[in-house]
Amino acid sequence: MEFVTICAMLGAGLAIGLGSIGSAVGEGYIAMKAAESLGRQPGASQKTLRIMIIGQAVTETAAIFALVIALILIFGAGGTTFMKGITYIAAGIAIGCGTIGSGFGAGLPGGSCMEGIGRNPENADALTVQMIIGQAVTQTSTIFALTVALILITLNPEYSFIKIFAILGGGIAMGFGAIGPGIGDGLVAKNANLAVGRDPQNMGLLTRTMIIGQAITETTDIYALVVALILIFVV
Amino acid sequence: METISGAELIKALALLAAGIAMGFGAIGPGIGEGFVGGKACEAIGNRPDEANLITKTMIIGQAISETTGIYALVVALILIFVV
Repeated sequence: MEFVTICAMLGAGLAIGLGSIGSAVGEGYIAMKAAESLGRQPGASQKTLRIMIIGQAVTETAAIFALVIALILIFGAGGTTFMKGITYIAAGIAIGCGTIGSGFGAGLPGGSCMEGIGRNPENADALTVQMIIGQAVTQTSTIFALTVALILITLNPEYSFIKIFAILGGGIAMGFGAIGPGIGDGLVAKNANLAVGRDPQNMGLLTRTMIIGQAITETTDIYALVVALILIFVV
Repeated sequence: METISGAELIKALALLAAGIAMGFGAIGPGIGEGFVGGKACEAIGNRPDEANLITKTMIIGQAISETTGIYALVVALILIFVV
């Protein structure tokens, strides 16, 4: 087997193996809270089940991005140079680790949405909207990781000893750098959703505060993206 | 395979270290800022009339949590451009 193919397979394994951790935990958390809320409000089972599935579907996004990259690496990996193989490994690290935070983070608002429905099923509509906004912003860090992974896959750098480590460093910076902000965004959205569940009248104010809080949490992710892009393109 | 000079090895490992510094350095501030933002949302839920004060405190708290992330960024940039 050629070196590039071996690297592409390794990258695919890293991408989907690490990339499914976060989403799986996040979805389990939503289901746990849904079971809890059904214990309190068995009458609202239809509503609870429906919103649980919506929440879990959005949480799945991160793992789907990882799956897409894994499939590209398995079936679409081209090139013959040594450097191309290194870019595939770096892409696998970037998307694999980069989805852990968002996957878990997106589960947190879903869980508190379920908790709110368990408290009062009438607030379900407001809670669903708030949950989806929170989850969508939480996905930002995965999207950064996806961008870097796609750049790495399409890149075809010249061979140099320094460049090997620069590209691996770029993948590591983006991959691990996306874990913290992903979980942090989820924590902000979780508590905002809990507060909406207690009193949906404050929803406008809470959504605004949540988005400011999430935007500031995202800054570290942007640093990681900048460092990754410098390592990939400038060095 | 051509021989690799010592200076090249140092530069290469410095770049890898920059990636590790920024990658792992971003985990803590990300989660910490999330805690600040989350509790601020909880507080606004309890006392919506104090929203301005809470938002102000939230931004200050997050900015201070951010400092370690900035340290990681500075170290990464030094490793890339200075070493």
